[in-house]
Amino acid sequence: MWRRVFAGVLCISLLWGFGVDLTPGRSPVTPAAAYAANLPSGEYQVQQAQYNDENGEYQLLLLNTPPGQPPLFSSTDVQMMPLTEEEQAAGQRSYLSLDKGQAVLHLAPDFRIDYIHAVTETQTNPQTGQPETVVVRQQSSFWTPFAGALAGQAIGNMLFSPSYYVPPMYQPGGPLTGYGGSGRSYEQAVKSYQTTHNEPPAAVKNRQTLRTTGSLRNNRNNRGNSFGSRSRNGGTAAERSGRSTGSGIGASRLRGNSQRSGTVKRRSGGFGSGRSRTRSGSFGRRRR
Amino acid sequence: MSSLSDRLKRITGQQRFVVARLMVQLTGAQTNPLLGTLNRVSGQAMEAENALEQLSEGLVDICQHLLQLQPYWQAAANEGDVVWDEGEASDYFNELFTDSAQRYLCQPQQVTDEDSDDTLFLTPSENLVVMITLVGQGDIPDLETDLAEIDALNRGLKAIISLAYQDKLEAIQVHFSPARFGESLTADQVLENFPELIPL
Repeated sequence: MWRRVFAGVLCISLLWGFGVDLTPGRSPVTPAAAYAANLPSGEYQVQQAQYNDENGEYQLLLLNTPPGQPPLFSSTDVQMMPLTEEEQAAGQRSYLSLDKGQAVLHLAPDFRIDYIHAVTETQTNPQTGQPETVVVRQQSSFWTPFAGALAGQAIGNMLFSPSYYVPPMYQPGGPLTGYGGSGRSYEQAVKSYQTTHNEPPAAVKNRQTLRTTGSLRNNRNNRGNSFGSRSRNGGTAAERSGRSTGSGIGASRLRGNSQRSGTVKRRSGGFGSGRSRTRSGSFGRRRR
Repeated sequence: MSSLSDRLKRITGQQRFVVARLMVQLTGAQTNPLLGTLNRVSGQAMEAENALEQLSEGLVDICQHLLQLQPYWQAAANEGDVVWDEGEASDYFNELFTDSAQRYLCQPQQVTDEDSDDTLFLTPSENLVVMITLVGQGDIPDLETDLAEIDALNRGLKAIISLAYQDKLEAIQVHFSPARFGESLTADQVLENFPELIPL
């Protein structure tokens, strides 16, 4: 009898603990939507939509927003699905449904999203000497994600539930139809794009960052001489201070965290050699 | 318990990111050619169109060179964590960049002697510290352990090489001190700025 009660309690506590993780479909990384916080949940008709492949951001011009609210909605975390046949039969236009911050675009098959393609180049900033990815110019096109989708592309239920879509590869001139990748989460969509195109989508490629520090940064201009510079009295500048010289370079294609900025999560576990720095998120002085 | 929650997160489609940093201290003048490799790799990555790709190719060179220099390994340390959120991984990665960068002079004073009339004589550095930080997807059991042992470090470096070939690295950083041949890192400076290093 007690054993059964105990098992029941265990089950409930387990479910309680994992309840947060069990909500599917929501991407774990959701960059903050600029206007999403202001808009209450509901359905809004979409007048115009724009997708920028520089950062993967959707900008939507909405109708019937509550008075006093801007009709603009912009976010990188937008799921899409085509209008169902019933909705189409009822004459429903394309709309955005907002539910607890999760945006789902329900699009008519012929809905065209303005596609802004950023032509980027790596240039060296003359002031800092750092290489930067610069948008040289923008080209615009149209993207019809669900053109002809209902004819035959529907694979099981996939198209009839909201999922993330990545636009097809940009081609100058023609409009873009269909999609390059799709998935339950943004990462899955990117992965499915990557398997077919052998490279990440533009929005992912453009978020690569490069960071340098130390001597690499200062000596960009005269990297030709690769030997240390010595002063006349024999010692390098570094020998007079407590630290030696050094260089560092880092490149990343991880999506930054704009939503949770400022809150440092306590890192309890982790691995590593024992005596390493503890990151127990406390304030104040730290003794070495 | 933790493995259960890991499995559950995997089922619900969350991605596992391993953020790891390892430090290796090498001693001996013979290790100085590594500085050439390090500088060449970072120079190439700065010039490249796709910096991450270039840096991951360079990381293979660095790790191979480090493996060759195994007799000169003096001390090592590593740390890291597993996170289930890409943004958090990015934050941690940036934090480690700043932490690694503050162990050496970030703005070294440019000592340029234009009229260098004395003969070119450069003393090799006795010590050399390389710090490699990376973010990888999925499980990397060879890195998620204590690497302050020769065998473990060997396996860890080999794991990094294969990860680089599999294009599984989402972010890479390489730090090294001293910056160039001819600049020195003394044992005292190592003790002071790299307190976590454990002798091998």
